[in-house]
Amino acid sequence: MAKLQAPQSHQSQPAAPDGGWGWVVVGALFVTSALVFGIIRSMGVFFVEFVQYFEESAQAVSWITSIGLAMQQCVSPFGTALCNGYGARPVVMAGGCLSALGFILASQATCVTHLYLTLGVISGSGWALIFTPMVASVMQYFTRKRSLAMALGFTGVGLSSFAFSPLFQLLVEMYTWRGALLILGGLSLNMVACGALIRPLGTHKAVAALAPGESAWSCASIFHRAYSYLELSLLFHRPFLTYSLAITFFNCGYFVPYVHLVAHSRHEGFSQYQAAFVISATGVTDIVGRVVSGWASDLGRLRLPHMLVLWTGLLGLSLLLLPLGSLGGSYPGLLIISLAYGFCAGAMTPLVFAVVPEIVGMERMLGALGLLQMIESVGGLLGAPLSGLLKDLTGSYTASFLVAGGFLLLGTMVTTTLPHFFSCTDQRPLQRHARNHNNKQQNQQSPESGLMTNSISEKLNHIDTIPYSQPQLDRNSLQPEPELYMPLNRSRTDDATTKC
Amino acid sequence: MFSPWILSLQLILFPLFWRGIYTTETNPELVLTDPVTTVFKSAVLKGDSLVEKVEILKPVDLELACTWTGNPNKLPNITGYWRKDGSEITNSRLTVQLENEQYNLKRVFRITGDTLGNYSCIFSDTDEAKIYFNVAAPEMDDKKDKPIVAYVGDSVTMACKTKLPPNAWLWYKANGTEQELINATTDPLRYKISVDGNTTKLTVMNLTEEDSGVYVCSAIYNIKASVSRVEVRVITFMEPLKPFIAIVAEVIILVLLILLYERWSSQKSSHSPTDNGVHAEPTHKLTREGNNGMDENTTTRQRKI
Repeated sequence: MAKLQAPQSHQSQPAAPDGGWGWVVVGALFVTSALVFGIIRSMGVFFVEFVQYFEESAQAVSWITSIGLAMQQCVSPFGTALCNGYGARPVVMAGGCLSALGFILASQATCVTHLYLTLGVISGSGWALIFTPMVASVMQYFTRKRSLAMALGFTGVGLSSFAFSPLFQLLVEMYTWRGALLILGGLSLNMVACGALIRPLGTHKAVAALAPGESAWSCASIFHRAYSYLELSLLFHRPFLTYSLAITFFNCGYFVPYVHLVAHSRHEGFSQYQAAFVISATGVTDIVGRVVSGWASDLGRLRLPHMLVLWTGLLGLSLLLLPLGSLGGSYPGLLIISLAYGFCAGAMTPLVFAVVPEIVGMERMLGALGLLQMIESVGGLLGAPLSGLLKDLTGSYTASFLVAGGFLLLGTMVTTTLPHFFSCTDQRPLQRHARNHNNKQQNQQSPESGLMTNSISEKLNHIDTIPYSQPQLDRNSLQPEPELYMPLNRSRTDDATTKC
Repeated sequence: MFSPWILSLQLILFPLFWRGIYTTETNPELVLTDPVTTVFKSAVLKGDSLVEKVEILKPVDLELACTWTGNPNKLPNITGYWRKDGSEITNSRLTVQLENEQYNLKRVFRITGDTLGNYSCIFSDTDEAKIYFNVAAPEMDDKKDKPIVAYVGDSVTMACKTKLPPNAWLWYKANGTEQELINATTDPLRYKISVDGNTTKLTVMNLTEEDSGVYVCSAIYNIKASVSRVEVRVITFMEPLKPFIAIVAEVIILVLLILLYERWSSQKSSHSPTDNGVHAEPTHKLTREGNNGMDENTTTRQRKI
C-alpha cells in the first residue's frame, strides 16, 4: 500500500514516494537505457555486414545511427508533449512498439534507404517516445534520492554496451543480419513491459487544460493544448535559455574524446589493444563516476549547480590536459588522464538533469526535458565534425582536445550566470515566476492541479555515445545519446513547496 | 692425309668441345632444355632454423642459396646437404668451407607442378642448422573458417583473393568428393561470376536449400591451381522467427502479469480503511489477502470508533 500513491488527482502533485515502487521504475529505466543506447552503441557489428551486403561506403551506412539519434532528440519534445496529454505509461508502451516495428521492418530491407527509414526514422521516433518519458517518470518518483536513482538507471547503458557487442556478433553469425535485426526487434519489445511498470503518480495536464464552455477540438483549444504540452513558454524563459546554451556547449566538447581517444592513442604510438583498453577503462570509470556523483549529490552538502560546475570544470581541465598526458609516449599518463576524464564525464551526467527542476520547476520539467534534448542536439552535431576538421587541418588531435576542453569551460562559465547561482541556499522564485507565467499564458491551468509537466531539461544527451563501437563509427554516428541527468534538485524545497 | 697434327688438334679440341657443352658443375640437366627463367631466393640463418615461403607462378629454375652465420664452433669445413619433403636428395652432400665467418650453400632446382614441395638446406655440424623453403603456388589471402549464412530466395556473394593475379579463375561446387564446375553462362539467372585482377566473386541468386554446401574457388597458375573452400548454409526465415516469437510471447506475458498485479494490488489497497463502501464490495476476485484487508478495515474502523 505504501507503494502506491493515493491518487489525489484534484490536489497538487503528490509527494514522490522516494522508494518502494520507485526502485522498480529505476529498474525499468535501467533496462530501457540498456536497450536504447546499448543497441545504438553496438550497431557497429551490423555496419560491417551492411557495408558488405549493400556494397555501400561506411559513411553511407553510418548515417543510420545519425538519423536514429537525431530523431530521438528532435522528436523528444513531442514525446513529452504526448506524456503531458496522455500520461507516461501509454507513451512509453507505444514507443516500445514503434522501435520494435522499426527493427522488424529493417530485417526485410533491400537497400540502404530502407534502413534509413526503418532503423533511423521509425526506431528513432520510438526511442524518443521511450527515453524522455522514462527519465521524467523516475524523476517524479524520487525527490531526495533522485540523483542516485537516475545514476543507477543509467548504468544500464554502460553495462549493456559491454554485453551487446559479443551478443550481436553471435546473432549475426547464426542468423545473418536479417535474422539478428528481427531478434533485436523482439528484444526492443521488452520496453513495452518496462513502460507497463510505470504507475501513474497523479493526473496529467489533459484533465486541467480545458476551460469551461470551450469545445475540446476547437482551433484555439488545440493550439493552447499544444502550447502547454510542448512547454513552448520555456523558450521565453531566460534561465532556461541560459542553461540550454550551457548544455549545448557541453555537448560540443563532451563526445570528442569518445570519438578521438582511440585514434589519438594510436597516433601517439600505442598498440590497438592498449588503445582499446584505455576506452574500456574510461567506460568503467564513467559508470563509477555516475553512481558516486549521484550518491554524493544526494548528500546535500553542496548545491546542485555548484556540483555541476565542479564536475564540468574538472572535465574541461582533464580534456585540456589529455594531450599532455600522453606526451613522450607515456602510457600511464594517458591512462590516468583518461580515467579522470571518464569519471568526470560520468559524474556530470546525473547533475545535468538534476539541475533542471531547480531552474524551471517541477511543473514544466517534462516539456523542458524534451526541448532541451532538441536544443542540445545542435551541440552534438557541431562538436564531432568540428573536431574532425581540426584534426585534418593540424594533423594531430591536440587541437581538437583543446577546443573540446575550451567548450566545456565555456559552458561552465555560462552556467555560473544562472540566476541565484552564487547564493548558498536553494531559491524558489523560479517556480513562482513560472507559475505566474503559466497563469498569464494559459488561463485554463491552475497551478494547484496535479500537473505532471515538469520541465526537466535533459541537458546532456550525448553522454554515452560511441566508445564501444569504434571501428565503424565515424563522426556521423557519434550523435550523443541522451543521457538523462538526474535532476538533483534538492527537491525537499522543490516539489513540496511548488504548489503551496 | 690425316697428319698427326690434325689428329692431335682434334683430340685437343674434342675435350674442349665436350667441356663447352657442360658449362656448370652442379646441374647437367640445365643445359639440355629450353631457356627457362631462373628465380633466385636466398636466406641467412643466424640461429637453428628458419622457414621461408617461395611463391612460384610457372615452371622455373629456382636457385636456393643458404648462408649460415651462427656456428659457434667455426670449423673450417662442415657438411651441407639438401632435403626435399623430409627425405635427403641423393648426391647433394657437399663440403662447405668457412668464408668470411659464414657458410654458403647453393643449389638450383627445376620446379614444375610435380616438384613443388618443401626444400631445406641443412648444415651438418654437431647439430643441424636448417632453412626450410616452402615452394608452392600462391595461396589465397583470407581463410574462411565460419560458414556463410543466407536465406532462401536471397542471394549470397563469395569472394576469393590472391596477391598475384592468376591466369584464370574457376568455381566449383563440391558434392561429396566430386567437384562440379559452375558455369555462369549456362545459368545466368542463378550464378554470376566476376573477375577483377586478383579477386573473383561468385554470386548465387535465388537461393534454395540445395545450394547449401562447400564452394571451391580455384586460381589457375601455370604451375598448379591453388584452391580455397567456403561453406554456405541456406536457412529459411523460420529459424530466427522461432526465438523472435518466443520473445514476443514472453513480453506479452510480462505485460499481462504486470497489469494484473497492479490491478490486484490496487484492489487490495482500495479495501484499506478509507472508503465507506468497503463492505459493499463483495465481488472482487481477490485472494485471502484481500479478505484480510477487509478484516483490517473492520478492525481499524472499530478502533477508530
